[in-house]
Amino acid sequence: MKTIEEINQKITNGDAVVVTADEMTSIVAQKGAKKASEEIDVVTTGTFGAMCSSGAFLNFGHSDPPIKMSRTFLNGVEAYSGLAAVDAYLGATQPSQNPEIGLDYGGSHVIEDLIRGKEVELIAEAYGTDCYPLKTVETPITLDKINQATMLNPRNCYQNYAVATNSTPETLYTYMGTLLPNSGNVTYSSAGALSPLINDPYFQTIGVGTRIFLCGTEGYIVSEGTQHSTEVERRNGVPVGSAGTLMLQGDMKKMDPDFVRGATMPKYGPTLYVGAGIPIPILNEDIATRTAISDEEIICKIIDYGIPRRSRPVITETNYKELKSGKIEINGIEVPTSPLSSFKRAKMVAEELKEWIENGEFLLTTPVKSLPSRGCTVKPLETNKPAVLVRDIESKSIIMTHSDDKINDVARKLVDNNINHLPVVDNNGQLKGIVTSWDIADAVARDKSKLVDVMTRKVIIAREDESVDIIARRIDKHNISGLPIVDKENRVKGMITAEDISRLIGGNLKNENGGESI
Amino acid sequence: MKAWLRFLPSIINKAIISDAIKIYEIDFNILRAYITPRGGKMLVEINGPQENESIQYMEEQGIQVTPIMRVVTKDLEKCMDCGACVSVCPVNAICIKEDWMVEIDNQNCIGCGFCINSCPTKAIDLME
Repeated sequence: MKTIEEINQKITNGDAVVVTADEMTSIVAQKGAKKASEEIDVVTTGTFGAMCSSGAFLNFGHSDPPIKMSRTFLNGVEAYSGLAAVDAYLGATQPSQNPEIGLDYGGSHVIEDLIRGKEVELIAEAYGTDCYPLKTVETPITLDKINQATMLNPRNCYQNYAVATNSTPETLYTYMGTLLPNSGNVTYSSAGALSPLINDPYFQTIGVGTRIFLCGTEGYIVSEGTQHSTEVERRNGVPVGSAGTLMLQGDMKKMDPDFVRGATMPKYGPTLYVGAGIPIPILNEDIATRTAISDEEIICKIIDYGIPRRSRPVITETNYKELKSGKIEINGIEVPTSPLSSFKRAKMVAEELKEWIENGEFLLTTPVKSLPSRGCTVKPLETNKPAVLVRDIESKSIIMTHSDDKINDVARKLVDNNINHLPVVDNNGQLKGIVTSWDIADAVARDKSKLVDVMTRKVIIAREDESVDIIARRIDKHNISGLPIVDKENRVKGMITAEDISRLIGGNLKNENGGESI
Repeated sequence: MKAWLRFLPSIINKAIISDAIKIYEIDFNILRAYITPRGGKMLVEINGPQENESIQYMEEQGIQVTPIMRVVTKDLEKCMDCGACVSVCPVNAICIKEDWMVEIDNQNCIGCGFCINSCPTKAIDLME
């Protein structure tokens, strides 16, 4: 048994024994937890991953004459200014206002540019008051010149996380990176055995006020993070999915660009790569045992991100040793893995923190308050309007055509029914393709007489139990105007078109406005 | 070896590559091809004992051949070694080494560009 005060005395004297969490795993394996807990004083952890729930409070200082900024933009990225006159919160995921730049540059990139000492263009607008008469400001700023900059990240350092794959036949672009079709790859984001909250799974030493490593300088734990949850399945003491989280803060002016990075998840949006490390004082044998956890003992679940719902199906489970090997097996097929978070930099974080402690530059802290270790669950958002499903859309009589039909007959069917899409089916009513009025025009232009020559065989479909909002996104993504609705046996049950969805929105608006459409 | 071949529209109808394959018995693999009204360029892999002679022949026939050592380059300043690119590579040319550095093997790279599009910091570029 040791106390934090005793460990700090050793740190001050320069004889504290500090190791990184991965080193601790082998030390405990060799010497046992008891001996290790006597010999080792501090274990340092580290992670360097995409943490979307990050940002910075900026206080620009007052101009002369002064301004009460109501909207602010930094290099074209909006920061929230509904605060006092010259305060703003710049969120990491906010994309550029400029549609040509869009997702390629966002709040996270501004944060990196500021930390790199680059000049950033500030544009502020105001409505003007007696005490703050100025209505606009346009000026370059640097991190040095502005009054204050505090990074405050509402949710960082997830204790374990889901592993992502995609069972659908198309590539998906997600916050878990690019997911190839038909479970063609797997991505994961936790640093595994190096990750801070995995090494103290019951928050025995990490708490409110704990001094930590944040982006190359010292930072602090403000509290548990948003979506902190504790009522989760555990294996070897460690949650098998997302669980505990931390809210972190640190002085941006002292941060080091080696440990923080603006990034964009392709076709998803900007995010901030945050380097965070937490020292764990080895007060007793139990804490030593926890910090000795290996990648193999950390279990996680592979989730199908092809299903765009709040609860996505679990495909199977794996562990970080397998994931870090570069390939895992799903249903007997070898699938390559991508980490998304950088182990190289996570290790750099843990090493840097270790060095600070060894050099006596960084003392450990006793938490002001413990983090909640039980009773926390994440409540869902129950929306007033339940999701409208495809089957809720007013059904029209199903009009279909057969693949051996003649172009002339198909053209007549389209005209007679005043429609633009016809699902093509076989004798069992199973979907074989789709033909549009454009395809028919094309057939006439190129003198084709058979439907099979002009129909589209790879059809984007809708299912009856899918939400209409998901169909609207699909229509938008594939730039199409209608989808056949099919059941599990691939039998056509109807069509849903962009017009149906517009009508649905129109109908809702009518209801909200007492029968008047707007 | 891998090389970029550039050619003008004037020779587009000549079967130069086909002749080169027949005369010099080379393996010729097209990795990327862009053909426009102003000519074209192809990223190819040429292998065989007479690959140098075949290249000389192509040049004589009017194709500009630029051998490349690397198909893609990784900007070491921008790369964070996050590994997002590793699993999207269709030919397993990207791996994470012992020290957790992400490394691209240009021998196996076919220049498909998937890694370029998957990189969160735009650290990878196609060599032209």
